Amino acid sequence: MRPLTEEEQAAVFSKLANYIGKNIVHLVDRNDEAYCFRLHRDRVYYVSESSMRLAISVARPNLVSLGTCFGKFSKSGKFKLHITALDYLAQYAKYKVWVKPNGEMPFLYGNHVVKAHLGRITEDTPEHQGVVVYSMRDIPLGFGVTARSTVDTRKLDPTAILVYRQADAGEYLRDEDTLF
Amino acid sequence: MDVSAIIEAEAAKHSAIAVEKDSAVEIDAGLLTITDPNPIDSQSYSADKETYLTELAREVFPDGPLALLPKPTTQLPRAKPLPKPKPPTKWEQFSAAKGISKKIKDRKLWDEERQEWVNRWGVDGKNKEKEEQWIHELPDNADDDFNPAAAARAERKKRVAKNEKQKLANMARAQTSEQRERKAEIERTLLTTKSSTASMGKFDKKLEGEPKVRGVKRKFAPNEIPSEQEKKTSLAILSKLDSGTAKVGKKPKGDHASGAEGDGAVLNVRKALRHASGGRGGAALGRELGRNNSSRGRAGARGGRRGSSSRGKGRGKSSS
Repeated sequence: MRPLTEEEQAAVFSKLANYIGKNIVHLVDRNDEAYCFRLHRDRVYYVSESSMRLAISVARPNLVSLGTCFGKFSKSGKFKLHITALDYLAQYAKYKVWVKPNGEMPFLYGNHVVKAHLGRITEDTPEHQGVVVYSMRDIPLGFGVTARSTVDTRKLDPTAILVYRQADAGEYLRDEDTLF
Repeated sequence: MDVSAIIEAEAAKHSAIAVEKDSAVEIDAGLLTITDPNPIDSQSYSADKETYLTELAREVFPDGPLALLPKPTTQLPRAKPLPKPKPPTKWEQFSAAKGISKKIKDRKLWDEERQEWVNRWGVDGKNKEKEEQWIHELPDNADDDFNPAAAARAERKKRVAKNEKQKLANMARAQTSEQRERKAEIERTLLTTKSSTASMGKFDKKLEGEPKVRGVKRKFAPNEIPSEQEKKTSLAILSKLDSGTAKVGKKPKGDHASGAEGDGAVLNVRKALRHASGGRGGAALGRELGRNNSSRGRAGARGGRRGSSSRGKGRGKSSS
């Protein structure tokens, strides 16, 4: 476990900024307790300072996980967000997409969101914008990237993909062994 | 008084050194050199070179008109810069600070027992006295296998090693930054060449005592940083990211050309200028236009060019 280097931190922040924009400040500068980002075995954990200090005394091979896993660095140094970061993304998301009940299961099985399943979408969502996907009862299901801007969606046919899936809650079952 | 004898003697002396030559010798006073351009007698030269040359050469008379040149007064400038004073060693710095004056020790020491001068160090040196004496005092707590002679020798060798280390450290400290850079560069080059084989230097023959090449270890910030400090660095990175995106913000590829001009201009000025000037640039075009304005007669001929420039503008528009 170690703090992130400057480049790593920049990679994490720029990825997070796709979804929550300037709200990252609320993750870094919290009122309740000091939280920090720590890297352990290529995974980035968002962890409170007190539990980080507790984890220091655990030897590296014995430390399985700590705090909330936000994602991992690939071998080529790119950062990939995991579904476990959804709690924080959903809390601070700038752009949201709601899917209809008949679209929930297809999304949770790892499919993209098609227009037929789209319930609501934040107005003026641009193209290629990171969005958090909710069910109609406001339960966050995952996150993805928009394929079209809100304006362009009107002309599309019902089978057209609107949101490319990046992560969904179904990964908790599908990728249980490698997720955390 | 009859001085004719003296004058005659003097004249004879001069006639002895007066030389008859077909053409006069060339004198270069600057080099204090005389060159004889007269052709040599090739027959006698090839017959006996040595005697011929000695005959040709003028003998210096012991009391001939020799000029004793005064000592040269012109100072030749120094070719190399003055040597810089050596930077003080660590001990010199310390002794200067403490006001310790340097004591020069003699190489030889008086040995009371042997009643003679012996070397302080080196052959039969006084510093080896302890390890070479035939009887040793053993400390009370000595081990069974304690060898006092070996211990004394090890002690002396340790002192020598320490001095060597200090000397190297002083030398390293005395290096200028230039020397240090050069050394680092040489070492870098050496490392590169070492690993520039098909096996990355793995199967190359190693020299004896060659140090193992160690790479630079990555260094990370400690785990326990004050949370305030960590927060500050994170916020700094965030603000840098924000400003970075503001500067090099991604633009849709479609309106890149107009974006390059800023202000949402429709015309790509750079492209239009290049087209109008025939690839010679805006300065050449400006000069040409200036000439046009001064001479009316040619203005009509240049009109076509201006037309082409407007065409260039049109193309810039369509491409953007």
